Amino acid sequence: MNSFYWLTASLVPVLGATRTLREGAAIGVCAIVISSLHQLLLAPLRQRLATWAYVLASLLLLAALASCLQLALRAWLLPQAIALGHYPALLCLQCLAFDHLLPGQGRWRLLARHLGAVLAICLLLGALRQGLADLTGLHLASLAPGALLLLGLLLALYNRLRPGLAHSRRQGKR
Amino acid sequence: MNRLARDAGLLLLTGALAVSATLAWRQWTGTAIASAEKQLQSRQRLAVLPEGSYDNQPLDTPLSRPAAQRPNSRILAAYRATRAGEPTAIILITQAQGYAGPIVLSIAIATDGRLIGSQVVEQQESPGLGARLADPHVDWLGQFANRQLGDRWALKRDQGDFDQLAGATVTSRAVITALQEALSYFDEQRSILLEGTAHE
Repeated sequence: MNSFYWLTASLVPVLGATRTLREGAAIGVCAIVISSLHQLLLAPLRQRLATWAYVLASLLLLAALASCLQLALRAWLLPQAIALGHYPALLCLQCLAFDHLLPGQGRWRLLARHLGAVLAICLLLGALRQGLADLTGLHLASLAPGALLLLGLLLALYNRLRPGLAHSRRQGKR
Repeated sequence: MNRLARDAGLLLLTGALAVSATLAWRQWTGTAIASAEKQLQSRQRLAVLPEGSYDNQPLDTPLSRPAAQRPNSRILAAYRATRAGEPTAIILITQAQGYAGPIVLSIAIATDGRLIGSQVVEQQESPGLGARLADPHVDWLGQFANRQLGDRWALKRDQGDFDQLAGATVTSRAVITALQEALSYFDEQRSILLEGTAHE
């Protein structure tokens, strides 16, 4: 499984809700909380339910979790909740995609790794966007299209620096 | 068939648990949300007043708003800030039509009719253009501090005194008009706002 599927699954909140470092941290933590609770609550149901019932149960649990998350944000982090808008609710899509993408074996290790990566990307994007907007006055950085460009640049940089895999000389040899 | 009934039962149980947990959570966070909203509202509306310039709770005693409808804006609420029983400022919450939706402003006016300051409470202007209205780095609203009704309330391109927010002429004009109308409202209703008894 390609790890870019994972990034795509969490793309909308990652791009939309990382205007500042605080926002990035908030959405990253929200993603970790809701995804791990979702997986935790689904674990006992996975073996017991047929596929159709499992999907429905997953949706019901997600609706409850997203509502509780919104309420908690409003109660204790109201200014952040207003800044984040509907993005915490959109994390549900990410949870559904994760549930679908996770293999039967070693789910938790993989989930932890990917959630860690999502948090890191959120923090990095938040810090960079806030820095660019505040220090250089580059206004594009605080808008969603700017976030997409920045994420593209970061991915390019990552691919260039990544040790080992997928060097250009290996292309086409699979 | 047996399997189907078991699945349906388990699903029903999950749904019931999910709904009741959500309702219980809402009940539990209700007071925290209400107090957070009240705190945020008072911060948004009272931040225009300098620290220590009042010692009452202005938001607890809204004033009556006679003839609140202006030609281009609407006064949503009026509050009186007092220190040692003497009025020091009137806070008007006004709503004007911006480019993308209503703009709600909190405007503090001193007893001599001078504008102390103004702040955005709500807006839906275009990100990067009109939305910079609320950006503390740009501080576009800062240029209106200490202005009075006698000034030329228009953009420089309209032969007025004020700079416009770059790329957001409609927003700029709407805000300037709303500020001017708030000042003229204060001028008209001065005696009622400053002396009239607060109503519930």
